[in-house]
Amino acid sequence: MTKKKMIISQETMDVDFVRKVEALAGTSVRSCFQCGKCSAGCPMATFMEHPPNRIMRLLQLGQWQRVLAGRSIWYCVSCETCTTRCPNTVDLASIMDALRKLSWDSDGASKESYVQLANKLFLQNIRTYGRQYEMRLAAVFNVKSGQFLKDLMLGPKLIAKGKLKVFHSKNKNMSEIEKIFTRIEEMRKKGVAL
Amino acid sequence: MKKLLDYSYYPGCSLHASASEYDLSTRELFKALGIGLTEVPDWFCCGATPAHNVDELLSLSLCAKNLELADKVEGDMAVACASCFSRLKTAQHVLGVSEVKRKQVEKAIDAPVKLDSNVKHLLEILAKDLGLERLAAAVNKPLSGLKVACYYGCLLTRPADVPNLDCAEAPTIMEKVIEAVGAETVAWTHRLECCGANFTLSRPGVVIQLTNAVLESAKAAGADCIMVGCPLCHGNLDIRQKEIEGVYNTSYGLPVFYLTQLIGISVGLGADKLGLDAMMVNPMPLLKEKGLL
Repeated sequence: MTKKKMIISQETMDVDFVRKVEALAGTSVRSCFQCGKCSAGCPMATFMEHPPNRIMRLLQLGQWQRVLAGRSIWYCVSCETCTTRCPNTVDLASIMDALRKLSWDSDGASKESYVQLANKLFLQNIRTYGRQYEMRLAAVFNVKSGQFLKDLMLGPKLIAKGKLKVFHSKNKNMSEIEKIFTRIEEMRKKGVAL
Repeated sequence: MKKLLDYSYYPGCSLHASASEYDLSTRELFKALGIGLTEVPDWFCCGATPAHNVDELLSLSLCAKNLELADKVEGDMAVACASCFSRLKTAQHVLGVSEVKRKQVEKAIDAPVKLDSNVKHLLEILAKDLGLERLAAAVNKPLSGLKVACYYGCLLTRPADVPNLDCAEAPTIMEKVIEAVGAETVAWTHRLECCGANFTLSRPGVVIQLTNAVLESAKAAGADCIMVGCPLCHGNLDIRQKEIEGVYNTSYGLPVFYLTQLIGISVGLGADKLGLDAMMVNPMPLLKEKGLL
């Protein structure tokens, strides 16, 4: 990654965005004093260009574009180790959720596409079937990500073991799940929910 | 027959597919122990990690809807999957703290949120509701000589103030349960480390690296097998084990049991009732060697 000089000034600091993150996550970004315990325990830090404590520092400085541009937030696996260990009770795992939501809503602000694709298909499955349909999830993921051969040898073995179901039944109360999705969409349209 | 205890059972999506042996062994074990399970009618997916990752309101609403559905069945809620358990407990926690979010969710599901219902993981039911003494009394075939590495993974205990199953950093509930049925447990470094969870679909390379560390640690501690209470952990440790052995040019050969399978063996249930044939790493040689099947 090429290093771009970071200029901290009133013009480059977007604190409104950070307030939104805090509201969504129900926790304080400002409480972090950079002890680094979150990054020390993070199983995914080695895969991130910004480890968790640096994400916190960038947020404190209002430099959220840098955070969203990379793949770090999508490489968080939601193991909750950071939240468990923070000495200042910052709920960092919820901050990651909030950042992903804001990135997701602004449609493709990040370079990481596979994790986002998996999430999208997962949520579509819930809306269509009410439950997860693992076979379909894996098959559509491979097609849409262009990895037709991914885990190809595993599929037949899993079917033989009864671990992938070829057929899937729909819930009887599917209209209720659709209503939940539409009510949330309506609330957002009216601006009464984030 | 009047059951000892009765629960509304929320299996979750995995237990109806990739973790069907967890579902089977849970139903059979609980039947053998005299614990009643009635499946929540027409339950929905809890949203798991993808929902809370990008849409908290949806995640909370799906969980609140399931709590409402579960309320129609008598008894506390029994949850098998660590991820479903974590999501349902988190929803109760968040909706209890934030009135704004609770009102939004109530609008989304068009019903009041059930904050007071008890959501329990199977481990909690076995260790606390049934109790270790009664569990020990049900044993017909003690798992003597079997060295078990108890793998908690992430979501059974973290974060500290949400699942309230056991201590977040030094839990012992799994060890207590499996020792109660005669097994030995090993002390090992990676029992609370993440296996990579749902990255198995999007970024399997990550899972291979993280899960390898877990397998390596269990093997180094002298474990014969690993015990889990989560279908995602199981999928990574069991289904991907052979692939991992290939990548790291090593051999682990560690069968990965669901807690209900191991306890099921100890109460005398047969392999067909525990879905042992669904495991990718064949447990039969180990179980025969220890005289358990």
